[in-house]
Amino acid sequence: MRILITGASSAIARLVAGALSPKYELVGVDPRPAPISSHFPGEFMIADYHSRKLDEVFKKYTFDAVMHLGRIRESQRISAQYRFQMNVIGTQKLLDLCKQSGVKNLIVLSTYHVYGAHRMNSLQLTEESPLRASQSFPELVDAVELDHSATTFMWKHRDIRTTILRPVNVIGKHVRNTICSMLRSGMCPKIIGFDPLMQFIDEKDLARALILSLENPVSGIFNVAGEGVIAYSHAIRHAQAMTIPIPPLVSAGFVRLLDQFSHLGFPPYLMEYFRYPTIVNDDAFRKAFGYQPKVKTLQSIKNLGPLPETRNLLPSHSGEESV
Amino acid sequence: MLKRLLMETDFEKLKSAISKLDQYKFEYHEALQVPDLEDRLSRLNVELNSAGFDRWGFHPDTLRKVAPILYFFYKRYFRVETSGLENIPEGRALFIGNHGGQIPLDAMMVGLSLFIDAEPPRAVRSMVERWVPTVPFVSSLFTRIGAMIGDPANCRELLMHDQGVLVFPEGVRGSGKLFKDRYQLQRFGTGFMRLALESRAPVVPVAVIGTEETYPSVYNFEALAKMLGAPYFPMTPFFPLLGPLGLIPLPSKVTVRYGKPIFFEGDHDEPEELIREKVQKVKEALQAEIDEGLKIRGENIFTGTAK
Repeated sequence: MRILITGASSAIARLVAGALSPKYELVGVDPRPAPISSHFPGEFMIADYHSRKLDEVFKKYTFDAVMHLGRIRESQRISAQYRFQMNVIGTQKLLDLCKQSGVKNLIVLSTYHVYGAHRMNSLQLTEESPLRASQSFPELVDAVELDHSATTFMWKHRDIRTTILRPVNVIGKHVRNTICSMLRSGMCPKIIGFDPLMQFIDEKDLARALILSLENPVSGIFNVAGEGVIAYSHAIRHAQAMTIPIPPLVSAGFVRLLDQFSHLGFPPYLMEYFRYPTIVNDDAFRKAFGYQPKVKTLQSIKNLGPLPETRNLLPSHSGEESV
Repeated sequence: MLKRLLMETDFEKLKSAISKLDQYKFEYHEALQVPDLEDRLSRLNVELNSAGFDRWGFHPDTLRKVAPILYFFYKRYFRVETSGLENIPEGRALFIGNHGGQIPLDAMMVGLSLFIDAEPPRAVRSMVERWVPTVPFVSSLFTRIGAMIGDPANCRELLMHDQGVLVFPEGVRGSGKLFKDRYQLQRFGTGFMRLALESRAPVVPVAVIGTEETYPSVYNFEALAKMLGAPYFPMTPFFPLLGPLGLIPLPSKVTVRYGKPIFFEGDHDEPEELIREKVQKVKEALQAEIDEGLKIRGENIFTGTAK
C-alpha cells in the first residue's frame, strides 16, 4: 500500500511516517525542505500544493491513501494570500487528483479553529456546530474553506473513504505552532480578566489518532482532543512562562504592537481564542475509533522543552503562484 | 515622661484587651470555615483530569479558594435556611428556580445549599446569560465554579451525564425585574421542558426567597444598558447614586425551598402548546412554593419575622 503524505516536513507528519514506514510505502510532499536532522522514510519532494509539481507526483505513483496534513497554519510570518493559495487552491487540486487517480482513502487534518472563538459557543462543540471562524476573522477563511471542501468531497464521493479530523491545540516537543512557541518562549499574552478553558493534544496522541483513522474503515468528520480542559492561566503556569497582561479593549492593537518589538509571531486575530473558550467534544471519535489519549495534558505541557533543532521556514517568495 | 507613661499603663488590662482581639480573630475565622469542606469536595460527583478540571471547566481548587467568602455570604450575611432537601433526587435533575435581584445571587444560594447543606453534596451547574462570557473576571470565575451559558446543547450534555442543572426559565425577564414585581414569575421559556422530556430528568422547583429584595431596582435604564451591551441596567435607591457602596446587597434573610420533584412523560418534539401546558404545571408548583415561603418568612425581609 502506498501513501502520500503532505506537509511531510512537519512534526506530526514525521511522527506518523515513522510509525507507518516499515508497513507502508510512503511518499512525502512539502513546500519546505526536509528537516536536516530526521530522514523521511520514503521519497521526499519539495512542492507547493497548487503547483504543477503535484501533478507530476500523481503521474509518477498511484496512491492507495492520501494523508493531507499540510495545512499552512496561521502565523504572522506567512501572508494570508499564500495561505489561501496553498490551503484552498492547493487542497482543491489535491482532492481533484485523488478523485482522478482512484485513491481509496483520504485523511484530512483540519483544525478546531474553524469553529471560531465566540461568546455564543456552547461549552462542548460537536462536529455539527456552526463554523463561525470566518464570520469573526476573515483571516481564517482559508482554514474554513479547506475544511469545507474536504467535507463536500466526502459527501460527493462516497466511494472514497474520507476522514476529516479537527484537532485542538497540538503541543509537543517538535511542534512549532503559535501556542507552542508562546509557551516555550516564556511570554504569553493574556487578556486581563479573561482566562478561557483550552484543550491540548499531544503530538504523539494526534499521530496515533491519524493512524487510527487510516487503519479503521470509518469515514466522517471528527473532533480530536486530548485528556481534557485546562484554564489558559494554568497552562502558562505549568509551562513556567510569564504572563503579559493585555488590556481587553485594545487587545488586537496591543498584540500587533507587541509583535513589532518582540518576536512573538502571534497573529492578532487569534487573540479571540484567548478570550472565549472554544472547547470541542470528541466523544464521537473516541467511540468510533476506540481512541483514548495517552499523554496527560500537564505532562505534555511540561515536556515542551526548547526546540531540538532549528528548522527551515517557508520560502520567502510566499504569495506568487508558481506554475 | 515615658517612664511615667510606662508606670501608669495597666498592662494587665492591655493584655486582656489583646487576648479579646485574638478571640475576635478566632470567631472571624470560624465564620469563614465551611464545615467538612474537604470531605464535601471529595464526595462531589465530578470526574477530574490531571489538571484538576472536569470536562465543563469546573475546578474544585477554585471553589476551595472562594468557599470562605461564599460561605460568609451564605451563612452570616443572608443567613440562608433550607427546606425540602429530602426532595433532591440523585442523578440527573433539572432545578427550576425563580429569578430576580439583578445579579445571580439566587443561583449562588441554590448552588451553595446543594454543596453545603444537601446530603450527599452536589455540584449544580447553573445556566447563565449569554452575555456573561463578555464580562471580565466574572466569566472565568463562573466557569470554574460550575456555571456555563444557557445553551440547550450544554444543558442536554450535562443531563445526559447525570448532572444537576439549575435553570431560571424567566431569564433576563426575571433577573432584571423591578422591585414592585418581586416574586411574580415572568413568562417562562419552554426549552427546559423539552430537555427534561428528552433526557427523562425530573424537574425540581426551587423557590429562593429573599434574593429578590437584595437590589430593589426601581427603574431599568435601557438606553445605558444598550450602550454597555448588558441586558438591563438597574437603578436602585443606592445604585448608581452611592457608587460602589450601592453595589452592596441588602442583607435580607434568604430561604431556599426545594419542592417535590415532578416527572413528566411525553415526547420532546411535541407541539409548543402541549409543552406550554407542562411548563405551566412547573410554574404553578414553583409559585405555590414561593407563596408558602413568603408566608412563613413574614413581613420583615431582614429578619424573616412578622412585624
